[in-house]
Order: sequence, then structure tokens, then C-alpha cells
Amino acid sequence: MINKGKFRIEKRDQVGVGFQILALFIALLASAIVTAILINSAGADIREGFIALYEGAFGNWKKFSESLVKATPLIFTGLATVIAFQGRVWNIGQEGQLYAGAMMAYWVYFTFGDLPPGILYPLIFLGGIIGGALWGLIPAVIKARYDVDVIITTVMLNYIILYILSWFLSGPWRDPASYYQQTTPISESMKLPVFVEGTRLHIGILVALVSTAIIYILLKKSPLGYEIRAFGSNLVATKFQGFNTTAILIICMVISGALAGLAGTSELFGIHQRLKADISLGYGYTGIIIAMLAGLEPIAVILAAIFFGGLINGAFFLQITTGVPAALVQAIQAIVLLFLLSSRAIVGYRIRRVADDN
Amino acid sequence: MIIDLLTTAIIINVLSAAIRIATPLLLAAMGELITEHSGIMNLGLEGTMLTSAFIGFLVTEQTGSMGLGILMASIAGILVSLILGFFSITLKVDQTITGLAINLLASGLTLFWFRSAYLQLSTNDTPLIEVLPDVNFPLLKEIPYIGEVLFSHNFLTYLAFLIIPVIWFFLYRTKMGLQIRCLGEDPQVADMAGINVGGLRYLAVVIGGVLVGLSGAFISVGSVERFFPEMTAGRGWLAFVIVIAGNWKPARILFVTLFFAFLDAFQLQVQGVGVKIPYQILLGLPYFFAIVVMIVGRARSRAPEALGEAYHRE
Repeated sequence: MINKGKFRIEKRDQVGVGFQILALFIALLASAIVTAILINSAGADIREGFIALYEGAFGNWKKFSESLVKATPLIFTGLATVIAFQGRVWNIGQEGQLYAGAMMAYWVYFTFGDLPPGILYPLIFLGGIIGGALWGLIPAVIKARYDVDVIITTVMLNYIILYILSWFLSGPWRDPASYYQQTTPISESMKLPVFVEGTRLHIGILVALVSTAIIYILLKKSPLGYEIRAFGSNLVATKFQGFNTTAILIICMVISGALAGLAGTSELFGIHQRLKADISLGYGYTGIIIAMLAGLEPIAVILAAIFFGGLINGAFFLQITTGVPAALVQAIQAIVLLFLLSSRAIVGYRIRRVADDN
Repeated sequence: MIIDLLTTAIIINVLSAAIRIATPLLLAAMGELITEHSGIMNLGLEGTMLTSAFIGFLVTEQTGSMGLGILMASIAGILVSLILGFFSITLKVDQTITGLAINLLASGLTLFWFRSAYLQLSTNDTPLIEVLPDVNFPLLKEIPYIGEVLFSHNFLTYLAFLIIPVIWFFLYRTKMGLQIRCLGEDPQVADMAGINVGGLRYLAVVIGGVLVGLSGAFISVGSVERFFPEMTAGRGWLAFVIVIAGNWKPARILFVTLFFAFLDAFQLQVQGVGVKIPYQILLGLPYFFAIVVMIVGRARSRAPEALGEAYHRE
């Protein structure tokens, strides 16, 4: 007699690297299909659309270098998410911390503009770090003191910083010659140096790469990193082992905010050269998706950031050549995240045939 | 004498505006209340609201029918909530990340569709729609003061206020309401009592979706004649805060909502009469007070025990 069995779905004990990569592959494939549908729905040819996306992102050296330029702030915000989420601190305030960093960096420039560039450069970066870190510290303190979820305070602070910025731009920092809310241009001598002739690749990306290395060492090779990861994987057990949970929360938020602040500093002094309310194209939020795509691994953040940086430029090229709105890129980002979450959840389970027990 | 008249006019203005401003917050908070009582935390409130506001506008603009626009907005609310439900109930993905993903998806898709539909036009040239008219109460609206404050709103506003006792009754006086609350406290006990945990949670998510959809419809079709990207401006998040500060109780939620609504109506009035306070401070007030309200209210509120946790059968 044939053994009558039934199927059971159970959770895998350990999801191997192979399955992780499989999940990533499935997610990217599914996202490509939805992207095709969106391109088609906007009235463009799918094949042409994908070619335009690729050409605009990585078509030649010039375009590739531009994608690296776009990847620079994303590496910072991606890392900012990695350090927070590794400790299960739901910081989604990277966007606001980016602006806080840019504002503090601008304040340093505005106040100490007469100093020689050799001294002013490090001070500006320090300003960016402090500005972002402070804006990250506030939700951490509120969480530690009053048990208010970081997620809510960071969302609110994202809105609040833009109003503070708007006030500075309409008053003390306003360029009187301009109709728009923006500062006067930063002097040529304080622009971040370009290090590859004929591109806009500025030293911001080098700072981003060094930051990646530091975060990698911090998370993987230092006792603090071990504590953060332990804190993230199991809150109750770490509490039992006597870790100082408040300290970890505050450290995670401060480092996360500092990294986001560097994103703002690098965009302000490397690209825009004026402080205004649109120096970020939602880079804070894109950083969250990049970190998830990278599996919260610092090194993988670089690859994911280049991928999304390319996608942003590809989408602009797509709009020029086919008329499909560049806003496609925001939609694709979220779709990638959703498919990634679902494919990871699905490969986390297996279906097994089990003997009927009655 | 003139001063007296002015103050009365101002008070009436503020009161009437507060009731209007409370509408989308109440609808969304009441929807979230039911969803959260079932144990599912819908952090994608903002995105769901935004999607519904867009769909409501799009359908009204394309078909010329406000009724159809509002209907489709609530269906959009259900669909977006079902995505969230599928991830949190069926796939058991972390609900925080899922909610964030939903918000990002809504921002991206509404912007993309908005630009696709009206690509050739600049934001200022996008087509206008008619705004949902006020309900016509023949004699009542003639009553001095009270008429203007209470009887000069559209039906979504009355729905938002009338739904509070209905939801209270549903949650606390019906068997299904009790079962839903049980899911949020201890899904295992509910399961053993023969309640279909997944099914009932989906139902709670759908009811929440309808209400959030209606709140989105109010934000576009119900109050202005145009749509613009990110027009919900944090009101979904505010509704989320209101549920927590309202201690998951309908009456206290109404109270907290009215607080925010008065605050907003007041700052609008202050801006309107040109008091010398930077407008940025006034506009930032609701977000600032959201944090303050959380700090004050958190200690005095208790979330459903199993909120935000996926249910795994042992």
C-alpha cells in the first residue's frame, strides 16, 4: 500500500548563503517583471526601456562615473541603516539626519569661512558628523527615557528638520540675490576636490569607502560590534547577560546619524554647493532599501548603492529617451524591497512530506 | 463691538476648521484601531492614505463621478492593506519593515502614476476636480454659530464622527469584536478556542483598509480640487500616534484627535491673520506635538499584548 502522506510547511533552522542568493535573484527577477509592466503601462517599448535604463546607468565610463557620484550619499545612508538595524534600532530618520548634517556643516563654513581650506575641510566634515549625530541622539534619548518608539520620533524629526532648514533659508542664510530658498554658492576653494579628470567624482566617495571599512571593522571585529549584533539578535538574552542596552541604543543612533550627516555634507560640498531643501532625492529612504538588499552587510552596501545609483541615472535617461517618468525609480526601489522580503520569507520555509500520523 | 464680532468669527472659524481637520485623522485612527486590536500593526498607514488620495483624485478626474472616486479610494485602501496583511499574516515578515516598504511603495507608485497620467503638464497645470459638496441641512445650518460649526461639512466628516460609537459597539459589544480583541492579546488562546486567527486578522486588516481609504479620499476629493505628491504630509503617521496616545480606546482616540485638530486649526488661523511668528514654526507644530504627546501618553497606555507579532501555531 502506498504510504499516504501529507505536506507540511516548516521553518528551516538555518537559511544558507545559497538560499539567500537565490532569494535575492528571485526578487530581482520579479522586480524586473513589474518594472517591465510599469514601463509598458507608461506607453513605452519594454526592450527600449530596459536598454535606456542600462545605458543611462552604466553605458560608458562617463555615465558609470555619474552613477558612482549618485552612489556616494547612498553608501553613507545605507551604512547608517546597517548599523542601526543590526542593533534592531528602527532608525528611519536618515533623511532628516542627512539634512541636519548638511546644516551643521554649512554653519561651520558660514562661521569659520576665513580659515585656510586645510583646516576648514576637516572641520566641515566634523560639523556634518556632529549635526547628524545630534539629530540621531534625540530619538535615542527619548526612547531610553520615555520608551517612545524610535520609528515615530525619527519620522516626525524628518518633517521638523525641513521646517527648521526652511526658516534658516528664508532668514539668516538666505541668498539675497535669489528668488528661491537657498544659500549663496560655496566658494570655489571649498568645493570638494574632484580626483578623476573629466568626471564629477569627488573625494566624498573616498570618505564613503573609508567609512565602510570602519563600520565593517566595528561591527565584525570589535567587542562593541559583537554587542550590537547580540543586542539585535536577541534582546531578552542580552539583557540577561548584563549588556547596557541603553548605551547600545544611543551608540547605534549616534553612529547612524553621523553617517547620514556625512551624506549631507558630501552632497552639499561635493555636488550642489548651495544648501537648499532638495539636496537629497530621498537618499535617506533609499539607504534603508540598500541596507536590506545588502543583507545588512557593510561591504555589500557598496554594490547595492552603485546598483541604485545607476538606477537613478538610468531612470533620468529613460525619461529623456522614452518619456517614462523618472519617478519610476522610487517605485522600483520599493518593489525590490517587497519582493526581497517575500522571497526571503519563502526560502526560509520548506515543504516536507510527512507520514500521516493517524 | 467690532473686536467682539471678530473674536466670535475667529472662534467659529477655528472650531469649524478643527472638525474638518479631524476627519481624515479620525477615519484613519479608527481603522488602525481595529487592525491593531487584532494584533496586526499597520505601519503603512501613511502610504495607504496617500494611495487612496491619489486613486480618489484620478478616478474622479477621469470619470467625473465623485461617488466612484470615493468608492475606488476605499477599494485602493483595502488592496494596499491586503498587501500588508499578506506579508504580516501569511508570510510572517517583520511588520515594521513591511509597513515601511508599503509607505515607500505608495510614495513611488503615486508619483510615477501621477507623472504618467499628467506628464506633459507642470504641477500647477494639473486638472482640477470638484470638491465633495457639504451636506445640505435645511434649517439646522441657519442656526447662528452652531450652524456654521456643526452643519457645514461633507458626509465623510459626519461618517468619521458617527463611526466612533459604531466601532466601540463592534469591538466591545459583539462576539466578533471580542474575538478580534482576543487575537491581539493572545492568539494562541483564540486559536484553541476555534477562532480562525489568520482569517479574522485579514478581516480586521480589510475593515481598517476601508476606513484608511476613506480618509485618503477625504484628503483629495473631500477637501481640495487637486492632487499633489506626498499630499498626506504625515497625517497617516499622526493617526498612528493618535492610536497609541489614545490607549487603543475609541473615546480617548477622539480626544487626542481633537487636540491635534484644534492645534492645526489654531495655527492656520494664526497664519491667516499674519501674527509675526515664522510660518515654519507654526507648520512644524503638529510634528513636534506628536512627539510630546507620545512622551506624555506612552506611560499611560498599554498596547495589545501580541501587537506586531506573527502567529506561529505550535
